Amino acid sequence: MESYFTVFKDESKLDINYLPPNLSHRETQLNLLTKFFQYATEVPGKMAQRALIVGKVGTGKTALAKIFGLRLMQRAQEKGISLRYVHVNCRERKGSLFMILQQVILDFYPHFPKRGYSSEELLQMLLQMLDEKNMFIILVLDELEALIQNEGADSIYKLTRIQESRLKAPQRLSLVCIIRELDCLDALDESTKSTLQRNIIFLEEYTKNQLRDILNSRVALAFRNGVVDEEVVNLIAEQAEKEHGNARYAIELLWRAGKYADASGLREVSPDCVRRASSSVYPTVQKDAVFSLELHEKLFLLGVARRFKQTNATYITMGEAEEAYYIVCEEYGEKPRGHTQLWKYVNNLSATDIIGAKVSEGGVRGKTTLIELPFIPAEELERELSRRLKVQ
Amino acid sequence: MMVEEVFSSRGRVKILRLLVEIGELNISEIARRTGLNYATAIQHLSALEAVGLVCHKSFGRIRIYRLNENNLHTRAVKELIESWEQAEKKEGMVKKL
Repeated sequence: MESYFTVFKDESKLDINYLPPNLSHRETQLNLLTKFFQYATEVPGKMAQRALIVGKVGTGKTALAKIFGLRLMQRAQEKGISLRYVHVNCRERKGSLFMILQQVILDFYPHFPKRGYSSEELLQMLLQMLDEKNMFIILVLDELEALIQNEGADSIYKLTRIQESRLKAPQRLSLVCIIRELDCLDALDESTKSTLQRNIIFLEEYTKNQLRDILNSRVALAFRNGVVDEEVVNLIAEQAEKEHGNARYAIELLWRAGKYADASGLREVSPDCVRRASSSVYPTVQKDAVFSLELHEKLFLLGVARRFKQTNATYITMGEAEEAYYIVCEEYGEKPRGHTQLWKYVNNLSATDIIGAKVSEGGVRGKTTLIELPFIPAEELERELSRRLKVQ
Repeated sequence: MMVEEVFSSRGRVKILRLLVEIGELNISEIARRTGLNYATAIQHLSALEAVGLVCHKSFGRIRIYRLNENNLHTRAVKELIESWEQAEKKEGMVKKL
């Protein structure tokens, strides 16, 4: 029996969530971040720090924070300090301070009641828990934009100022905020802004050479020896540089090119595989966003994708989308949500640029919301969603 | 409280069993999972706390109960419940065979 040949050695090393042991070309920033939080292992409780990581998509913001967290926890452990690093993605927590804090608290008490109090109370409870356990926490708020958009300046203000009311008590909560652009802080009041902006770390877009280094290290981890040529790596680095130096895009492209090579039965990844892959990879922003949607949003989007697959039209109406959604719900055995909820989904999805939505010109028979799929090919979206829904 | 007073109440045994299994829980959840009325659950918890078998922590309005591991009686109860459950499992397997 002929065994199936694959160019991969370990595909998981190309996963979005894989954390490499070393982050190429980010040593300076990592050192800086470590310096900011040196006090945490030297004089814990004496002060609390806030830092801001700013960088575009795929510049290594999340990976930088996570690697920093791992190393800091290790050092704290060596010194016998009870320090916890908690990484929360604000978008996944729907931009709600309540849900963000809930995730942190569930980490301490997995069976903590899920409702019945305000976010202020939760924050107080968190500090009480930390006091009781004599613990310190570094809370990383990834995609802080979602929290600012949803709740405005108040939540950030609460988080940064909570410890000021605790005179002489140890400072237990430090913050690391991750954003894409500094502009999003404009919504905050001056004092909150200045507390956050005291320590900023900018992550520049990766250059072609840097991307090549990153790709080479991943090739060594994920692929068999000699199946990925230098030329292929160059081609991918070039394409990713055009995508604003997006390393995540580069890695996704590398993985997909490998998949095309496997599918065509090739023994090595050819430049043609890369070209085919690049035409099928859509920018990773949307992919991440799709990943963090809730079940019914995914079902609705699946309905939309299927409808677009059947038609050549640029837009579909809200009514058509709803019909398609009902069919999907039936297929997955879910009770469909009502119109208002779906309308909220449309707003949310268009805010994250997964779909486009506009109100139709007022005709004789009134207005409706028109939905378009500007970036992601319908077929690709359907495949991705079906896969995710199957996992759920 | 005498041993028969703890074990003669179905509600108290249910609560102890739940806490052995889960660890820590708030009152509403204890009531829900044991199928007891909220007020009854509080009564039993207070009785168990009075003899030192369980203890609680308050976070604002929320009280979280757990077994009081420092108490010798608690350890005895925990061991009893755990070995009981194990025996139950073994018996179940033998029956299947």
